[in-house]
Amino acid sequence: MSDASASPLRLRSPTTLLLGRLQVILMLTIVLLPIAWMLLASFKHSVDVMSLPPKLYTAPTLDNYRELFVRTEFLHNTWNSLVVASGATVLGLVLAIPAAFAISWHRMTWPATLTLFARMAPGTLFLLPWFVLFSKLDLVGSYTVLILTHGAITVPVALWTLLPYFDAVPRALVESGQIDGCRPHSILLRIALPLVVPGIVVAAILCFVFTWNYFLFALALSGFDTKTAIVASFNFVGEGVTNWGALMAAASMIAMPPLILALLVQRRLVSGLAVGAVKG
Amino acid sequence: MKSIAADPPAAAPTSNAAGIAAAPLPRRTRGQQSLSLAWMMWPAVVFVGAMIVFPLVYAVWISLYDASLGAESRYVGLGNYLGLVQDPEFRNAFKVTWLLYAAALSMQLVLGTWLGVVLNGVTWARNLVCTIAITPFMLPPVVVGMMAMVLLDPSVGIVNWIIGLVGIPPQLWLAHPKWVLASVALVDTWQWAPFVALLVLGGLQSLPASVFEAAEVDGVTGWRRFVYVTLPLLGPTLLTAAVLRSVDLLRFFDLVFIATRGGPGNASTTMNMYAYQQGFEFSRFGWASASMITLSLVVLCTVVVFARLRRAVTW
Repeated sequence: MSDASASPLRLRSPTTLLLGRLQVILMLTIVLLPIAWMLLASFKHSVDVMSLPPKLYTAPTLDNYRELFVRTEFLHNTWNSLVVASGATVLGLVLAIPAAFAISWHRMTWPATLTLFARMAPGTLFLLPWFVLFSKLDLVGSYTVLILTHGAITVPVALWTLLPYFDAVPRALVESGQIDGCRPHSILLRIALPLVVPGIVVAAILCFVFTWNYFLFALALSGFDTKTAIVASFNFVGEGVTNWGALMAAASMIAMPPLILALLVQRRLVSGLAVGAVKG
Repeated sequence: MKSIAADPPAAAPTSNAAGIAAAPLPRRTRGQQSLSLAWMMWPAVVFVGAMIVFPLVYAVWISLYDASLGAESRYVGLGNYLGLVQDPEFRNAFKVTWLLYAAALSMQLVLGTWLGVVLNGVTWARNLVCTIAITPFMLPPVVVGMMAMVLLDPSVGIVNWIIGLVGIPPQLWLAHPKWVLASVALVDTWQWAPFVALLVLGGLQSLPASVFEAAEVDGVTGWRRFVYVTLPLLGPTLLTAAVLRSVDLLRFFDLVFIATRGGPGNASTTMNMYAYQQGFEFSRFGWASASMITLSLVVLCTVVVFARLRRAVTW
């Protein structure tokens, strides 16, 4: 295999290689240090979190997590986050999979362009009309409204992620299904769907992470019982909490699901994130 | 070589079809019998219409009114927009947005390109490195904001302690009107430069090796090769990265909202932050909608400009 990276490499001297490695290590350190610092701090006693010079090793403690889960509603908030993120992911996939199939088959551009606008307009723009609408329907504070509004993020994301995967399904295969007498929905379910499973996995993970991370909609539209973990931890900051240890424990807890999911699909994520721009 | 960061996904399914595609299919007359799947997209279109187009139309409509909480709304035409142009707070937000945009985008593109090129040359532990590079931009903005607050705290933050070791006096970072934008831009760069780097790495790996070999034969190496060969070929990739980052940076909100609340004063009040404050803290719905629509148009124009640019540099 000849690719771009192989040939320039042959002529590199050991010094250049070493320099390259040092730059990579420097980059990894800068990327990882703040995250490591957050994790470490979440296992420290509050007095040690802010001590300078920093104590690299202190006897680890679970006090921060205990405080978080026992003295606050954080466990319930995490459950809310899970419900909303899963709900919005399922909603996004259920709507986007058939749409992506149809759009890809008919080679249409306008529906995708329409949804692209959702990615360009600021979230605040939608929030105000939603608030008015859902107040009238008496839905503010319900899971329904949180899942629906985050669906406005997940449907476009899922659609744009899935399109190239559906484009790669051979047309002849779909046509042969039609000739064999398959109805359109069974062509989708039996022929196309099994071929785009990797795309669905990437789309699902992106949808989940986007919803999990997004806090503006939940901030304005969640009620006391449906407050998500992100909003709850944002309120900790707003209250001017001095317990940095507990704050870092909350941050670590919220950071875990996206990180674990991201590791599962790794670099496909990058192409998934970029796809909207490439087509648009 | 299997690792391509931005590989066009799902090439695999084609193999399944090979056998079937080879057999001649009985063709029916086109048009009448051809498969129509259009109905499958209607649920999504209706949903998007209800959730995105309706609010958009509503926002445009209300932006033409002087509508506030508890007051009779009054039609003012383009009055809100004309008022925005003259409002010093909005002008400030406009300036802040573009300053932050210029600082963060340039840092992210330069650092991202540099890191991408370095990663391309160093195959050592590349999978691990790529995995780690993903982590910052998968983190929730709230978490990044909290980390920034803890690390950049003027009195107990570790960053001041580290620069103190080399004799630099402690800085206020997020609390100083002059430095807050630079600090926010730096934090955002920490989060997103790795993303640009991975895009660049993917772009580099999709370039034809022959071009680099030709350059080598012609004796173009090192810095000159980067400037005259690599960079022009990376044009489309860099513009893709620029579009993606532009859309986020022009709408900059999360980090500012969490870590600075637009302050100190209004030193980090971006247009999006301004719109939020007007709408949800001062309940000036018409005014806020006008500023949000202005912001949307700014984003749209920027994306269109970049799309034109990319058409120009695509090779």
